[in-house]
Amino acid sequence: MQSRRSTTYASRRSPERHSRNHNSVNYISAVKLGPVTHTVIVALMITVLGLIYLTQATKAIGYDYAASDIESQIAELSVEKNNLEVENARLTALKTIENSSVAAEMSEPSSTDFVR
Amino acid sequence: MFTSVVSNRTRLLAILLLAVMAVFVVRLFYLQVIRHDSYVAQAAERQTRKLDIPAQRGEIYALERDEPVKLVLNETVYTVFADPQVVTEPEAIVEVMNRVAGGNVRDNFADLLDLTDTRYQVLATNVSYAQAEMIKQEDIFGLGFTKTSRRVYPEGQLASQVLGFVNAEGVGQYGVESALNDRLTGTDGVLRTVADVRDVPLTIGNNNINIAPTDGDDIVLTIDRNVQRATEKALADGLKRIGAKTGSALVMNPRTGEVMAMANLPTYDPANLDKVTDVAALNNNTISMPYEPGSVIKTFTVAAGVDTGTITPNSTYVNTDKIVVDDRTIGNATNGQTGEITMQHALNWSLNTGMVTIAQRMGNGSYITEGAQSTIYDYFHNKFRLGHPTGIELAGEASGIIIAPDQAQGNAVRYSNMVFGQGMDVTMLQVASGFSAMVNGGTYYQPTVVAGTMDGDTFVDAPAREVREKVISSKSSATARQMVIGARRAFYAGGDTAGYAIGGKTGTSETIVNGQYIKDQTIATYLGFGGETGEIPAYVVMVEVSSPGMNLAGGEHAMPIFTDISNWMLDYLQLQPKG
Repeated sequence: MQSRRSTTYASRRSPERHSRNHNSVNYISAVKLGPVTHTVIVALMITVLGLIYLTQATKAIGYDYAASDIESQIAELSVEKNNLEVENARLTALKTIENSSVAAEMSEPSSTDFVR
Repeated sequence: MFTSVVSNRTRLLAILLLAVMAVFVVRLFYLQVIRHDSYVAQAAERQTRKLDIPAQRGEIYALERDEPVKLVLNETVYTVFADPQVVTEPEAIVEVMNRVAGGNVRDNFADLLDLTDTRYQVLATNVSYAQAEMIKQEDIFGLGFTKTSRRVYPEGQLASQVLGFVNAEGVGQYGVESALNDRLTGTDGVLRTVADVRDVPLTIGNNNINIAPTDGDDIVLTIDRNVQRATEKALADGLKRIGAKTGSALVMNPRTGEVMAMANLPTYDPANLDKVTDVAALNNNTISMPYEPGSVIKTFTVAAGVDTGTITPNSTYVNTDKIVVDDRTIGNATNGQTGEITMQHALNWSLNTGMVTIAQRMGNGSYITEGAQSTIYDYFHNKFRLGHPTGIELAGEASGIIIAPDQAQGNAVRYSNMVFGQGMDVTMLQVASGFSAMVNGGTYYQPTVVAGTMDGDTFVDAPAREVREKVISSKSSATARQMVIGARRAFYAGGDTAGYAIGGKTGTSETIVNGQYIKDQTIATYLGFGGETGEIPAYVVMVEVSSPGMNLAGGEHAMPIFTDISNWMLDYLQLQPKG
């Protein structure tokens, strides 16, 4: 299927100046950047990229400190847990039980019955 | 002209700059390329920390019936040190250390703070976590804390010779701590990492290593905490009653070979080793001190006699209170039971002549031939395992000695003595293990103190041990068991709780000092079992007591201790009386 032009394009150039491989549109900006500006922009871009890199690189180290803190907490809690277990073992030791006030109130059974 | 001068200066400056730049480039090339490896190595050396992560030593549990209870634990304690060069408040340090850790400080710790030419002075050791936290809260500059671990024994002296202890280097000594040191120790981990100035490990770097430690096994012993306590108490009470100084008692489950209690006096507190004045207290004499057990061995002789078909309980012989073997005349300790008597009677009265008669009947009827000696050796040494190290998981086990018939001393006289418990060296554990096989139907279980391990909170049974079946027939076992019950009922059953099958045999042996028997000191032994009537016994108990300068007798001095333990065991095991 062939497309059809709906409008007719008229070149502003004179036909005698038109030749193959020449841009037909010539845009000239009003703002002009000199070589110094370009250099500054490139430097800024490199700086920003460097900062991004540093941020990412040091982020892992930040996690290291967080992990180190957590491991310290785990170690502290582990020590506390062990000490509580030791205290529990001391409190439930036979000698402690035998010397307790509850044991002091106990008496030998006078007789024993066996039930199957 | 002017343009030319400027141009030359500019060129000169450019050349100078280029030269300087060249110097920098060359220097950087030297540092970064040629010396690269050297500087990387130096950096790694300074930045990398290699830390050994200590494995936690395994804890030791006892049983309370079937439930594991902790017997040896690890406790984190601290060593408090000071840097005298930076300490600014020595008075505050002295005050807080005396107030918080007064029992743990070194005697001269206040003086140590004045040693300003040093940078490390230990002020206190074994400071508890709570104490350390209180000291830290004071926030005193110049104080430091080193975390260490120590063994804790909440039950004090209980089973101390079974447990052993851990020395300052963290190596187990004596008992389970030594025998199972490798299993208890575990494997240290390694952390090699780049660290910052505060030694915080960082994940940067490609050569970091983090190998986690493998903690030691948590071992569960077959020792029953309550049985151990009751046995130690009965032994202590018994020694006090008779005024003796040393004694041992052993309680086993004859159905499994598991040792339920091992008690020795004098004993020690493993948490206070510095108070031990006699290193003999560290020994577990039930395994490490072989001795002549005396007449308790007669139970083995009658069992061998029954199993070989040599005798029955009602077999008779004529007792004249003496019997001649080669150039020796052997007499009875108790005279007067002369005439034709049964083997049961001989066992009841502990007559040596009866045992020698059994040995002779194993030979040609009147002499302990080489064949008889081989038979006795086979039963004593190979079947009942006397004179063998049992392989129990305890350090310091002695092997004992049973002289073989093919040895120079293995003659008829030797064997005539062995059948009533002399001329041999055996440990209490060997005797109790062999006796267990004798009364349990004829199966020898290798004795053990390890019931299993803890996997988290779960108790995992130990692997199966050596079992030797049919060391004697079950029928022979039943007969021997009944004979031993008869021996106890003949004289010693008065203190027994009624309704149970309790058997036992006395033993009184002379003491050997420097290879010679001495007359003023004898060792008293009692070996027995108990359980429900008509059932395999539930426990075997062996008691031994001795004291320098005391002539002790098995029936008078060791037997009452057995009775105390036996009656307690009947209640504890909730055994049902019959009849």
